[in-house]
Amino acid sequence: MGVVAEVERKLARARCRQEADAEPDLRTSTMTHVVWAPEAWLPTARRVLAGLAERHPARTILLVPVRGRRSGIEARATVEDFETGDGREVLSEVIELRLSGDAARHPASVVLPLLISDLPAFCRWRGQPNWESQALAELVDVCDRLVVDSSEWPGIPAGYGNLAALFERIAVSDLAWRRGLPWRVALAGLWPGIRKAERLTVEGPRADALLLASWLRSRLRRDVALRRRAADTIESVRVDGRPVELPARSGPPTASDLLSAELDTLSRDPLFEAAARAAAR
Amino acid sequence: MAANPLAQGLGVRRQPDPCALVVFGASGDLTKRKLFPALYSLAYRDLLPERFAVVGVARTEETTRQFVTAMRRAVKQFARDPFRSDVFDRLAAGVRYVPTDFADDDGEDRVGETLDELDDTRGTAGNRIHYLAVPPVAFPVVVREIGERREREGWSRVIIEKPFGHDLASARELSATVRRWFREDEVFRIDHYLGKETVQNLMALRFANGIFEPIWNRQMVDHVQITVAESIGIEGRAGYYERAGVIRDIFQNHLLQLVALTAMEPPIDFTADAVRNEKVKVLRAMHTPGPKSVVRGQYGRGWIEGEQVVGYREEPGVDPRSMTDTYIAAKLYVDNWRWADTPFYVRAGKRLARRETTIAIQFKRAPHPPFEEIAGDGMRPNVLLIHVQPDEGVSLAIGAKVPGAGMSIRTVHMDFLYGGAFREGVPEAYERLILDAMLGDATLFTREDEVEEQWKLVDAIVGAWSRDVPMFPDYAAGSWGPAKADELLHRDGRSWRRH
Repeated sequence: MGVVAEVERKLARARCRQEADAEPDLRTSTMTHVVWAPEAWLPTARRVLAGLAERHPARTILLVPVRGRRSGIEARATVEDFETGDGREVLSEVIELRLSGDAARHPASVVLPLLISDLPAFCRWRGQPNWESQALAELVDVCDRLVVDSSEWPGIPAGYGNLAALFERIAVSDLAWRRGLPWRVALAGLWPGIRKAERLTVEGPRADALLLASWLRSRLRRDVALRRRAADTIESVRVDGRPVELPARSGPPTASDLLSAELDTLSRDPLFEAAARAAAR
Repeated sequence: MAANPLAQGLGVRRQPDPCALVVFGASGDLTKRKLFPALYSLAYRDLLPERFAVVGVARTEETTRQFVTAMRRAVKQFARDPFRSDVFDRLAAGVRYVPTDFADDDGEDRVGETLDELDDTRGTAGNRIHYLAVPPVAFPVVVREIGERREREGWSRVIIEKPFGHDLASARELSATVRRWFREDEVFRIDHYLGKETVQNLMALRFANGIFEPIWNRQMVDHVQITVAESIGIEGRAGYYERAGVIRDIFQNHLLQLVALTAMEPPIDFTADAVRNEKVKVLRAMHTPGPKSVVRGQYGRGWIEGEQVVGYREEPGVDPRSMTDTYIAAKLYVDNWRWADTPFYVRAGKRLARRETTIAIQFKRAPHPPFEEIAGDGMRPNVLLIHVQPDEGVSLAIGAKVPGAGMSIRTVHMDFLYGGAFREGVPEAYERLILDAMLGDATLFTREDEVEEQWKLVDAIVGAWSRDVPMFPDYAAGSWGPAKADELLHRDGRSWRRH
């Protein structure tokens, strides 16, 4: 039996077991969520998924490339249920595939038959992709949207150039860009005073700061110098020395919140694309 | 000045202008159960304007502090979101309570002074939303007093709870009062059903899916059934219900709005006037073929979920010989190109077997099923069932082959459960409607001409009812209504959908 048939059989059995608990079950999916998570990223990826699955009923395919020259796929398939609050349960499917050798280089061959028909497929790529890899090329071709977090990359700003090369092939999201949204809103609120801004000072992660400055440059069509002090999240932003105020709002979003927001977005984001291209320069 | 290039593509929701929401009838149930929990949920999601305030106005003597404490309790009990002190405190900082009879000059002044203070301290900029959560009889007085004190600075809007009038004449009279002080685009007549996600989803279902529109007509649809059933009684509202009955409480507004949304033509866009123009056309084309096509009823004693409940006439405050209707069923026609001769069977009632609001589109049978007659026993027409509440979603009943030898057909349901696919909490209707009123978007509110068309139909029915005296009570609490309602469909060779 092939790995896909085995996965389907395991899922069918798991669904039957779930149905035996006397709660009426619904199998409702809004997408296929593919996650490329090398082993070092696996615990973090699982944590984020745990906070996400209930919000986005989906088939999640967790691809874990492991060392080993021999081609092989180890599959685990489980069904998770979430109460809807009315005595019913919604089932989400999680398929974990550990890929080695050729199988890790050609993930599309196993992902493609497992995609849910007619629904969008998102690929969350953990860490910095190997831009030249066959695995990335294949997943870009079978998915509709690639979600990265450039703050996970050691190689910025060069990585933005590689990312920009994918824009014509797949819609792309960057969680570092999403994190900067409240600050972009606050900066937009400074118009027209900000029109001639010359210097942006950001206390925050490098990727977040770079994208914020690049966005400002691309929108204002002028050079804006960036100064940065390192911090885990964006703590403060100044324009020409003047602090930018964020409205008193609820706390920062969790990693699951950020990814959840990206999974609701289906189309290309020309503003992000322009900012990423500007950041690569 | 050049357009702001930084604002483009931020995808940020339009923020309402700074404003103060004045709730008249703030000590009532609606404020506790719906309005304040809705405001809290809006605050929870950062959807309220930065500069915002709430003024509660009611006759009950209490201080702002006591009012805030009561609202804190209400939010904890009724809000859909977990309680967070920081969110509530932010909201509460802008809350004031004015104990007064608003009809007194002194009362008006105190409300005015409070609003002025909030303009100064909270920056509400003279913008006002007046929410009339008061008994309908008080509407004209409150509207007049608000109108007379309308300030020049800022905008002023008024939200009016249903029922808007008691009949066509009183609705027109109230409209005339309202029109003296407010333009139509400043008036927001609430029918909270329109704020429900699934009611809006009805429009999404119809107009965002190419497969339904071609079959949404008299050629393909045999008939439509709309049910608004409540299992609760009148919940201590005898004074109101004795005057209203189900025909004014549910039929005139919720039920006719559901018919309009089901039958309307596609609007050219989703703006207030485009949507309401199409609804009005349906309401104008709607009629009932005669007195025999409308059934009224009143519940007697019965059993609900294992407990015996009293009949309507035994409810506290109800006249023991009351002839008030607690049930209505009607056959309606929409005389236009799309729906001519297609019956819309509608029913609404109190103390029915369960709480359920559904729209069932029953399609015509397959013209010639090529199966043996015996196998065809299980063949039923397709039904597209829209669950408005509870279990919001859509089901399609289709015929499927029973596994095994032969060709036996069984009806199966394909279910789409709204909350199953979209796990973000479904907002309460009042959240959406209050926010829309702040934004000045009246798409989900009823317009004056819609209300009038609804009353015309109700007046015609009530006029016919005045000529006979039915035998009440005529259905047991916990049942699906009087036998006459079943006969209404049996006469046409049809029956109510089985629950």
